[in-house]
Amino acid sequence: MTMFGTNQLLVDKHVEFIQNLDKKQDGLEYWMTEHLRVSGIYWGLVALFLLDRPQALDHEQIISYVRGCQNADGGFGGHTHHDSHLLYTMSSVQILSMLNALDQIDGKKVTKYVLSLQQTNKQTNGQTTVCGDVWGEHDTRFAFIAMAVLSFFNTQDQLDTNGIVEYIRGAMNYDGGFGSKPGGESHAAQVYTCVAALAVAGRLDVVDRDRLSGWLAERQLLCGGMNGRPQKLEDVCYAWWVGSALDILRRRHWISAEKLVEFVVSAQDEKGGIADRPGDVADVYHTCFGIAGLSLVRYPGLNEVDPVYCMPRSVVRRLGLHKWQDNVPESWSQ
Amino acid sequence: MHGRRRQQEREPTQDELQQAKQRVDRYRALNTHVMDLKATSVFTNDALDATKRLLEQNTELHTVWNYRRTIFTSLDEWQCQDTRQEMLDGELKFLLGIITKNIKSYWMWNHRMWALSSLPRPEWQRELGLVAKLLALDARNYHGWDYRRFVVAQLKDAATDKHEVDTQEFAFTTEQINHDCANHSAWHNRSKLLPEILAQRDEDGQLEVLQTENDLILNAIYTDPDDQNAWLYYDWLLDIQKSDEDRSRLLRNKIAAIRELLELEEDSKRPLVELVSAYAELERLQSGSVSEPEKKECLETLRRLESIDPYRVGRYTDMSRTLSKQWALGA
Repeated sequence: MTMFGTNQLLVDKHVEFIQNLDKKQDGLEYWMTEHLRVSGIYWGLVALFLLDRPQALDHEQIISYVRGCQNADGGFGGHTHHDSHLLYTMSSVQILSMLNALDQIDGKKVTKYVLSLQQTNKQTNGQTTVCGDVWGEHDTRFAFIAMAVLSFFNTQDQLDTNGIVEYIRGAMNYDGGFGSKPGGESHAAQVYTCVAALAVAGRLDVVDRDRLSGWLAERQLLCGGMNGRPQKLEDVCYAWWVGSALDILRRRHWISAEKLVEFVVSAQDEKGGIADRPGDVADVYHTCFGIAGLSLVRYPGLNEVDPVYCMPRSVVRRLGLHKWQDNVPESWSQ
Repeated sequence: MHGRRRQQEREPTQDELQQAKQRVDRYRALNTHVMDLKATSVFTNDALDATKRLLEQNTELHTVWNYRRTIFTSLDEWQCQDTRQEMLDGELKFLLGIITKNIKSYWMWNHRMWALSSLPRPEWQRELGLVAKLLALDARNYHGWDYRRFVVAQLKDAATDKHEVDTQEFAFTTEQINHDCANHSAWHNRSKLLPEILAQRDEDGQLEVLQTENDLILNAIYTDPDDQNAWLYYDWLLDIQKSDEDRSRLLRNKIAAIRELLELEEDSKRPLVELVSAYAELERLQSGSVSEPEKKECLETLRRLESIDPYRVGRYTDMSRTLSKQWALGA
């Protein structure tokens, strides 16, 4: 039994929760998460846009702050004066595009930064890696981000897409899932990034659709929530990571939307915000992905989210980025 | 952000508020101090110490890890092999001290990899031992396994007998699986090593390896028929067989095993799903190899599964529709 009755999303409470995030400066947590402030803003903004309350935060203030996070190398840090990293470059570009301010930054500079992280001269097996920053960590998340970020500026053909696709193919495992890098164990979040990357690249043919859909469908547990890999605990954020991948694969109907909604709704804090699971402390990350997960299963009253970009479909359409849908194999839509 | 229970709310006391404020002020002061040093390009031992004190409190500050590495490489001691070795050995000790509290920190693991890769004399075997200990505490730790693969890759690079490294690592996964055949991370790692092991053998040797593998995975299936991963591994073994005859033979074995399991428990979801997919694959490999009664049984099984496993009813109806069409049966 949930304490909210059936399907009761506390919209006003969540809006308040997000608006109050920047006011919690008495708490140590606020300061200890400063390094990912830009991502925090992105998560809050997505939630607000999907809740159809986009004006609940000050747009000009956010734009000014995000622009201040751009460094000389063209990349963005998680906060002002923090080193550039693809994670925060992605969040920054997503924020600016949602607030219709993408033209306020130099797309060429951002493109140059992203391209500098592509390792074209270190190919093994025809695979091209993309590093998260100059310190060399590579991960399929960064491969996705590189393609996604450049698609915002229509410069993605400057990437070695074939090499990146081979890297992603190399990260595919016997269960149909994808890992963080070739050799890495399948994990739902990495499945999302790889499937989304392949969608942007127009290479969904790489995916073993049936095997992966089956694996993803099994993420839903009896409680209705999803886990990230077998034997692990349910967590609200997987409503997004699993749901978005299933959506791209056109297999959203392989899980119970009703039970998922029940689970996410029961993970709400009556004071506002959504937690990883019922009874836990709410945070903006789980608020974002819980609401995005609900949007994917068409929870009433929410704006539609794009399963590749995790932004409102209306924004993705405005930018012309919805064309990834043209690349979904025709046989999948039957 | 994960797994924190909500506490009963009560108003904090004045004392508690004061203490909380002091903690925040102290942290912020240290953070500001380190970021100021970084902004003015200070690369001294004092700066190194300040970054250490800050990172001990918050391992997620990747900008500070970057700065710390830059300080290291700027110091005079870095230039000499012996002092560099000393510095980095100390760094590894520091990281070891904070590892259990921060086992999921990407930045901390990245820094460890950097430290080892920068060592004049890295002890990769010792690292392997360290990771084995960590995995003993948490056999599914993602970062632990990724790190293990990194270490093994280094060992393989430096080894004269690279096959031996693969063989030992393969044996490590066998150990893990014998300890707990539901250790998916071990099976996953094994799946990456098996092709290397097979490549080392001649045709007879390969058959032997695959037979052992088959026995091992069947054992896992019998131990826990609900373990989805065991079935996926079995299907992958089918994929890497050399011929369709071998595949068909293994599929028939799979079906026999499923029938045994269903005798013990007839509504067992996983074996029922696998029964249908096994027949579907058998028919795909060789048209006509599955009988009409067997095909009808598949469709009936899918209908039963809609009740047994209702969350995934969409999957079962899709499978019914596809198979009905493929097999030209009435739905």
